[in-house]
Amino acid sequence: MAAARADTLQSVELADGVEIQLRVAGPAVRSMAYMIDLLIRIGIDFAVGMAVFMLLPPLIGAEMAGGLMMLFAFFMEWFYNVFFEAGAKGATPGQRSMKLRVMSVTGGPVSLAQAVMRNFMRVADFMPGLYLTGIVCMLFTKRFQRLGDLVAHTVVTYAEVPPVLTPQVEIRAERRAPAQVLTREEQAALLQFIERAPLWADERRIELAALAQPLTGVVGVEGLRRLCGMALWLQDPEEKSGTPPPLKGARLFHT
Amino acid sequence: MTPSQFEKHIGPRWQKLERLLDEAEKPHPTAAVEELPATFRQVCHDLSIAQHRMSPQRLTQQLNALAIRGYRLLERRSAGGWETFVRLFLVEFPQAVRAEWKLFWWCTALFYLPAVLIAVITPAHPEWAMALLGPGGMAQIESMYGEASKPSDYVRDSFGSGFSAFCFYIMNNVSIDFRTFAGGILGGVGALGVLLYNSIHLGAVFGYVHYSGNPLTLYTWVVAHGAPELTGIVISAMAGMRVGWSVLRPGRLERRAALVLAGRKALPLLIGAAVLTSLAAVLEGFWSPMDYPPTIKFTVGALCWLAVAMFLMFSGRRQTDAA
Repeated sequence: MAAARADTLQSVELADGVEIQLRVAGPAVRSMAYMIDLLIRIGIDFAVGMAVFMLLPPLIGAEMAGGLMMLFAFFMEWFYNVFFEAGAKGATPGQRSMKLRVMSVTGGPVSLAQAVMRNFMRVADFMPGLYLTGIVCMLFTKRFQRLGDLVAHTVVTYAEVPPVLTPQVEIRAERRAPAQVLTREEQAALLQFIERAPLWADERRIELAALAQPLTGVVGVEGLRRLCGMALWLQDPEEKSGTPPPLKGARLFHT
Repeated sequence: MTPSQFEKHIGPRWQKLERLLDEAEKPHPTAAVEELPATFRQVCHDLSIAQHRMSPQRLTQQLNALAIRGYRLLERRSAGGWETFVRLFLVEFPQAVRAEWKLFWWCTALFYLPAVLIAVITPAHPEWAMALLGPGGMAQIESMYGEASKPSDYVRDSFGSGFSAFCFYIMNNVSIDFRTFAGGILGGVGALGVLLYNSIHLGAVFGYVHYSGNPLTLYTWVVAHGAPELTGIVISAMAGMRVGWSVLRPGRLERRAALVLAGRKALPLLIGAAVLTSLAAVLEGFWSPMDYPPTIKFTVGALCWLAVAMFLMFSGRRQTDAA
């Protein structure tokens, strides 16, 4: 689809032969998720540290308590992300708050091995500081993958598809067949135009419709009217609804 | 079939899939979810048709989201638990080391040769080791393994201090293993750097103890836990080199694919190295500080080296790659 190039949709072919589209997430939103996770981790480390050093020393001795705390810090450092990403949700709390999710590039969930791989590589991605290597690497790969993602074959995507706005607008244009055979891309462009046109101002609609002058033959409101008519024809070539032809000079878009 | 007819036609199917997915995501799904795979495939088919006919985005996006959700659910698998982990360590790890035996010997050589070199020249030319250790390091070595020290100096008096030391070694040494591995992706430079740094530092310590300390204290202390610990660091560097090498020399594969494949091959090495290092931490925390005569210490130490060597050479030989 021609329009897909302006967004971050990435096509992946599933084992079932169908192509799905993943909306991959960029460095900014992932940095936010990371910061939230960092705060959560610091909070947990602090809370557990307080609890261990206040409660345990009388029971098991200060040295044992200190040792347990070191073990806990070790697991938090290396396995916090692994635990959550390999879990059912496929996302750490920070990633979930940003509506992100880690996926395998194949479209499936992340396996434990992949989660280990992508998170242990953080050391290399962090170098020389503040994840510089990882961010540069993300900017040079089309799926925004850092080194860890490349090794583990994973990708971070948005978990939810935002609902498409479809305003209930009646378009009063006369159905007309395009004067020439349109390619699939051209048809797609026309169909997306008619879907989104109600969201724009009149000037913008006319401006965009003017691009299709080779097809419509005129610019201005009449060009827009003809373009809408062709798009309506593409949506439904057969006129069945029996609506009367629109009045001349009536508004094209009627809410 | 017009787009609106198509939408009406497929509507019941994807609503059914939605219901089934809701059901299957519950902890105890009913038998109805048996229909899930078939329904999922139908909806995938509908999605293909919708994409081909350029149906409204509203429809394709909803179907797309459903397909992703269904695929995630169908592809979900459990990690396998302890049995998988034990098998990974006992079978796949030694197999992986043997499969990459050339790399193993290269890393072993790169680790031990510089260490031995530094240690051997130190008694004649101590300035090298002194420069490497610095004044602080030298003072520390004097206090631990100085001429007046005895093997019984490092005996710990309580279980708590042994446990705390064990935890410290886990945190410190296993983290070093992980970092060594991660550094490997930069063309192997990181892993190699850590390996060489540790090598010459280790050589300097041994050389300096021979020069101005009591070597018996040092050797009775390290001989047992050194076996798994040093092997662990060598193998984690080896895992890192495996990944780095695939970037430098991907062979017939695309670089990206070579990297993913190398990552999969390196994982058993990394986990195995981490387990070896953890075993070393157990020995270092509880066995090494025991007060036994040097003969027992050296006998157990030799057994440890033998055990690690036998494990790497023979464990998992009869198991095939299947299962």
